[in-house]
Amino acid sequence: MEAFFYKKTEETPSIILDPERNTFEIAYRSLPEDANGFYEPVLKWLGEYYEHPLPKINFVFFFEYFNTSSAKQIAKILLFLEKLSHKSEVTVLWKYGKNDADMLSTGIRYSKSLSLNFQFIPV
Amino acid sequence: MFTQIPSNTEGLSFGFKLFQGMQEDNLSYIYRGLFTQTITDSIISLAENNLDSTGETSKVKKRVFSIMVECLQNITRHQTVEGEEYNDSNIQGIFMIQQKIDSYFITSGNVVSNIAIPKLRSQLEKINSLEQDELKGYYKQILEDGSISDRGGAGLGLIEMARKSGNKLTFDFSKVNDDTSYFYLHTCISKELEASTPIIVNLDNIKSLHQLANEEEIVLVFNGVLNQESLINLLSIIEGQMRGRLDIKKKVYNIMVEMLQNIVKHAAKIEEDTVVGNPGIFYISSKDNSYSLCTGNYIKNKNVEELKSKLEHVNSLKGDEIELFYSMRLLNFEIDNSKEAGLGVIDLRMKSGNNLEYSFSKVNDDISFFTLQVSLK
Repeated sequence: MEAFFYKKTEETPSIILDPERNTFEIAYRSLPEDANGFYEPVLKWLGEYYEHPLPKINFVFFFEYFNTSSAKQIAKILLFLEKLSHKSEVTVLWKYGKNDADMLSTGIRYSKSLSLNFQFIPV
Repeated sequence: MFTQIPSNTEGLSFGFKLFQGMQEDNLSYIYRGLFTQTITDSIISLAENNLDSTGETSKVKKRVFSIMVECLQNITRHQTVEGEEYNDSNIQGIFMIQQKIDSYFITSGNVVSNIAIPKLRSQLEKINSLEQDELKGYYKQILEDGSISDRGGAGLGLIEMARKSGNKLTFDFSKVNDDTSYFYLHTCISKELEASTPIIVNLDNIKSLHQLANEEEIVLVFNGVLNQESLINLLSIIEGQMRGRLDIKKKVYNIMVEMLQNIVKHAAKIEEDTVVGNPGIFYISSKDNSYSLCTGNYIKNKNVEELKSKLEHVNSLKGDEIELFYSMRLLNFEIDNSKEAGLGVIDLRMKSGNNLEYSFSKVNDDISFFTLQVSLK
C-alpha cells in the first residue's frame, strides 16, 4: 500500500503513514479552517489500510497545539485505532513537550474514553 | 446605531468598553509593543490580506504598503537608542491604520531621544514646505549630498512618505522624560491622488489613545475582515510579542484560535458580499500579567438565544463537570456542525479557568452585535 505524506504548514500538521517503514506519525500544529475536510483523506487512507494491516504498529501523536475542531477529527482517528486494535497490536505513543501539561491532560482525556494502549512520552 | 442590551457584563474591563466604543469606527488596527522583523512582516501581511479582501486597487495598495513599510522601519530604527531596547512597557511604540471612505490614515508613535528632535522637526518642516514636484528634487539633492545619518535616515523615508501619500505629514512630539519623547507621525493617503485636499489633523486623539493603550497594556486591536489568513497573521504577531511563561503563551494562543475561528466560521455579515471572511473586532491586553482577549462580531438575531443558553450552560458548570461535558461532546459524532461550536466555547472556559463574559446588542431586526471576553489570570 502506498504511503501517505503531508508536509507541515503554519496551520496543519505533518503526517506520515508508511506501512513499509512501519512509521505512523502526526505532529506539529493543527488549526485548519476546515478540519473535517483536512482529515478526510487521512481517514480514507486508514480505512483502506484496515483491510491488510501490519501485525504490530506504534502510532505517534506529537502535537504542539490543535484546535477543538481538530480535536474531534483526532478522536475519529483514535476511534479507528481502537477498532484496528482488534486485528493488530496497536500502541498510541502520545508525545508532548515536557512542560506542556495541557497536551498531556488532553492525551489522558482521550485514553480514558477509549480502550486503547496509550504510552505518554515527555520530549 | 447600537441598542445596548447588556448581559453578564459586570466583569467587563475598561479596555472592553474602549473596544465597544470603536465598533462604529472604520479603524482597521492598532498594534502596540515591540517591533521585530517577524511582527512587522505579519503586520504588513495582515494589511495585505485586508486590502485584498476589500478589493482595493493595486495602485492604492502599493502606496499604502510603501508608506507602511517606511513607517514601520522608522519605528524599528528608533526603538533602540544607544543599543538598549525599550522594554519598559510604559514607553512602547504604537502603529495604526485606519481606513476611511476615500483615504487611509497611517499613524505611528515611537520613542525618540530628545536630542534628535530639533533635526527631525526641521526635516519635517522642510518637507512640508515643498510642493509635490519639488520633493523629487529634494530627494535627489539629499542623496547627492551624502549626508545620510548613521541611523540610515536623513529623512529620505519621510520624503518618500510625503511623495507617496500626496499629502503633508502631520507630526507632534510628547515628552516622556528628560531623555526621550514620543514622536507621532500621521500620514493620510488619498485614494485619488488628484483629489487630495489638505487635511488638518489634530493628533490629540491619537495621543490619548496611545496613553490609554499604555495604561491598559493593549497589545493589539484589530477591526476588519477575519478569515483564516488574517487569523494566522494575528497569531504570528501575538506569538512574537508575548513574553513570559510558556504555558500562559500557549493558553493565549489556544484561546485566540478558538475565538477567532468562531468568527471565521460562524459570524454573520451585516450585508452579503463576496468577501472571504467575516467582519469582526479582536482585542488583546495584558494588564497586570493577566491577559484579556475580546472579540466582537455580528450574529443573526434568530441565533442569539441558542448561543446565549450555550454560554450560560458552560458558565454554570463547576469543576469536573466541565471536563466531563467536554469529553462527552468530543466523542459524540451525532452532533452536527453548527453545534460543534459548543466544543470551542467549553474549551475557552477550561483553558481560561474563568467565566466567559459576553453581551449582545441589537443592531437591527435581523442582526445583533455579540461581544465575548475571556480573561486569563
